[in-house]
Amino acid sequence: MAMYWLILTIALPWLGALVVWLAGNRREKLSHTLAVVFSVASGIASLFLIPYGNERAVFFIPIGGVFGDFTFVADGLGVFLAAIANVVGSLAVIFSVDYMHGEAQLGRYYAFVLFFIGGMAGLVLTSNLLLMFFFWEITALCSYALISFHNDDLKAVAGGIKALIITQLGGIGLLAGALLLYVYTGSNDFQLLLENPAVLPVGALGWMAFGCLIAAAAKSAQFPFQTWLPDAMEAPTPISALIHAATMVNAGVYLLARFYPAFAEVPGWREAVMVCGMLSALMAAFMAMVATDLKRVLAYSTISQLGYMVYAVGAGGVFASQFHLLSHSVFKALLFLAAGAVIHSAGTRDMRQMGGLGKFMPLTRAVFVIGGLALAGIPIFNGFWSKELILEAGLHGNPLWLYALMVIVAGLTAFYTVRMISMVFYGEARPGLHIHDAGKAMKVALLPLAIGTLTTWLLAGPFGSLLAESLPAHHLEVESTLAVVEEVITAPATYLALAVVALGWLSGWQRGRLQPLAKILGGFGSAAADSFGFEAVNRAVVNGTQRAAEALRVTQPGLLNWNVFSIVCALLVLLAALAVGGR
Amino acid sequence: MMLSIPNLVILIVVGLIGVGIYALLTVRNLIKVVIALQIMVKGALLALVLAGRLQGQENLGQSLALTVIVADTIVAVVGLALAVQVRRAFGTLDLKALTTLRR
Repeated sequence: MAMYWLILTIALPWLGALVVWLAGNRREKLSHTLAVVFSVASGIASLFLIPYGNERAVFFIPIGGVFGDFTFVADGLGVFLAAIANVVGSLAVIFSVDYMHGEAQLGRYYAFVLFFIGGMAGLVLTSNLLLMFFFWEITALCSYALISFHNDDLKAVAGGIKALIITQLGGIGLLAGALLLYVYTGSNDFQLLLENPAVLPVGALGWMAFGCLIAAAAKSAQFPFQTWLPDAMEAPTPISALIHAATMVNAGVYLLARFYPAFAEVPGWREAVMVCGMLSALMAAFMAMVATDLKRVLAYSTISQLGYMVYAVGAGGVFASQFHLLSHSVFKALLFLAAGAVIHSAGTRDMRQMGGLGKFMPLTRAVFVIGGLALAGIPIFNGFWSKELILEAGLHGNPLWLYALMVIVAGLTAFYTVRMISMVFYGEARPGLHIHDAGKAMKVALLPLAIGTLTTWLLAGPFGSLLAESLPAHHLEVESTLAVVEEVITAPATYLALAVVALGWLSGWQRGRLQPLAKILGGFGSAAADSFGFEAVNRAVVNGTQRAAEALRVTQPGLLNWNVFSIVCALLVLLAALAVGGR
Repeated sequence: MMLSIPNLVILIVVGLIGVGIYALLTVRNLIKVVIALQIMVKGALLALVLAGRLQGQENLGQSLALTVIVADTIVAVVGLALAVQVRRAFGTLDLKALTTLRR
C-alpha cells in the first residue's frame, strides 16, 4: 500500500504538470481547475504516506550501470518533507487562483509549479545520491523559471539567472559528493554510508562532507551565498511562499540532516556548519531590520530562520532542526501568502507606502499577526517551541559564544517582526487607498496555514518517534509532546531567550524613540542594506559566469562541419582512453 | 601484410568512412551532406558483412546489413525531402547561411 502512495506523491504532480502544459494557455479556468485538482490530490496522497513512514517502504526502478537502482525510501524524514512540499504546494496553487487571476500564460506557470512539487517530493524520498542530484537540479530549474515568470521584466530575469547560477555552483559540491560515493562504494545508495561512514576513507569523507555543506549553503541561501534569495522575490508571491520559504530552500537543511550521522565525525565539519548557520542568521536579521520591501524582509527572515536550522544540525540537534523546519514552513508560507494578499490589493511592495491596512483587511491582518508571533518566537505558537529546542540543543556541549549570538538573533527577529507588522497594518492609512480584503481562494489557502501555525507543535512527540524509528543511523532521543513541553518550560534558558525576545519586541514597538541610536549606527545600517559587501561578491560570480558563457559562444556556431569535427575529436579521445585503459 | 580479401575489405571500409567524414567536415551544401552520410553508411554496411563473415555468423551479419539498408534509405529520403523544404523556405542550401546561433 505504502508503495502506491509513494509513487502517487511524485507521479501525480508530474502528471498534472504534463496535463496542464498540454491544456495550453488559452483557457484560464481550465488551467486553474486542473492545477488545483492535481495538486490537492497529490497533497492528499502525501498525507496518506505519512503513517507508513516507520515501515520504510522501498520502491525501486532497476536502471543498471553506473546509475544503479533508482531507489525511493519512505522513511520519516522523507515522508514528512514530501508532505510539506505537496500540502503547501496545493495551498499555494489554490492561492494562485486568486493571485494569478487574469495573467497570461497560466499553463506555463502551473506546469512549472507542479513539476517543482514532484521534483521536491522525489528529492526527499530518494536514497540514490545521483538521482537526488537530478531532483536537486530539477528544483533549481523550476525555481529559475518561476522567478523569471514575468519574463518581460528585466529585474525578474536577472533575479532568476542569479538564483540559477549560485545554486548551480553549490550543485557542483553535491555532484562531487555523489561521484566520490560511487567511486569508493560502487553504488549510489547512501544508506550504506549512513550506517557505516567508514566505507569511505577519511580524506574522501571530508571532501564529501564539505562539498555537501557548500551545496546546502547555496541551496538554503546561507552564508556566503545568501544574496540570491532576496533577488528571487521578483517571483509571483505564491512561488515565494512555496519555493523560497517552505520547500526548496529547506533542501539544504534536509541534506545536512540526512547525512549528519556520516559527517558528524569529520573534524571541523560540525563547527563549520554551526558558524555558517550563525553568520547567516545574524547577518540576515540585521538586513531585515533595515529593509523596506515587504517581501525582502520576509526573505531575510527566511535566511535567518534557515540559519537557525543549519546551526541546529551542526549542534547535533537534528530533531530540533527538522521540527523548526516544519514550524517555519507553515508560518512562513502563511506570512508570504498573507503578504501576497496585501501586495495584491495595495499594488506595491514598499512598506513605507502601506500603513493602516489592518482596518481594510482584518482577516489578513489576523493571520499575518499569527505568523509574525510564531516567527518572533512568542509562546504557544509553533515557532516558539521549535526555536527553544534549537537553542537548547546549542547548549549541549557546544561553544557558548555561538549560543549567545543565536539568542541575540532571537531578539533581533522580534524587533523586525514588530517593525514589519506595524509598518504594514497599523498607524495612519494613506489617503486615497482602495484596499479590499483577500479573495475567497486566498482565504481557503490562508486558514489551514493559520490553524497549523497554532497547532503543529502538538505533533512534536509523534513526529519525533517517527523520525527515531525510521532513522536508526541518527540515534535520536524520543520524547512525548508533553515531555518536550515540560522540558522547554522548566529550562532556565527558555526564560533568557524569552526576555531577549521581549526586549526586541519592545524596542521594535518603541523604535521611534530609538532614533538617536539609529543615527549612531547609521553606517552599520547602510552596510546591512548592502548585504555587508557579499552582494558585490555574488554579483561578481554571476557576472563572471555570464561573461565566460558569452566567451564560450564561439564554440557553438551551429555549423554542421564544426559539430562533426567535435564528434570526431571526442571519438578519438574515447578510443585513446579505451586503448590505454583497456590493457 | 598480405593483401588478403578481409584486409582488402577493411581498407575499403576505412576508405568509405574516411571519405564520408572528410565530406561532412568540408561540405557546405545540404544535398552533399546527405550524399556524404550515404557513403559513410555504405562503409558501415560492408563492415557488418565482413564482421559476420569473420565471426562465422554470415547470416546474422547480412541480415543486419539488410536492416541497415532499409533504415538508411529512409534517412536519405527524409533528408532529401527536408533539403527541398529548406531550399523552399530559406532560398538556400548553404549550411553557413542557415545557422542562427552565430552573432
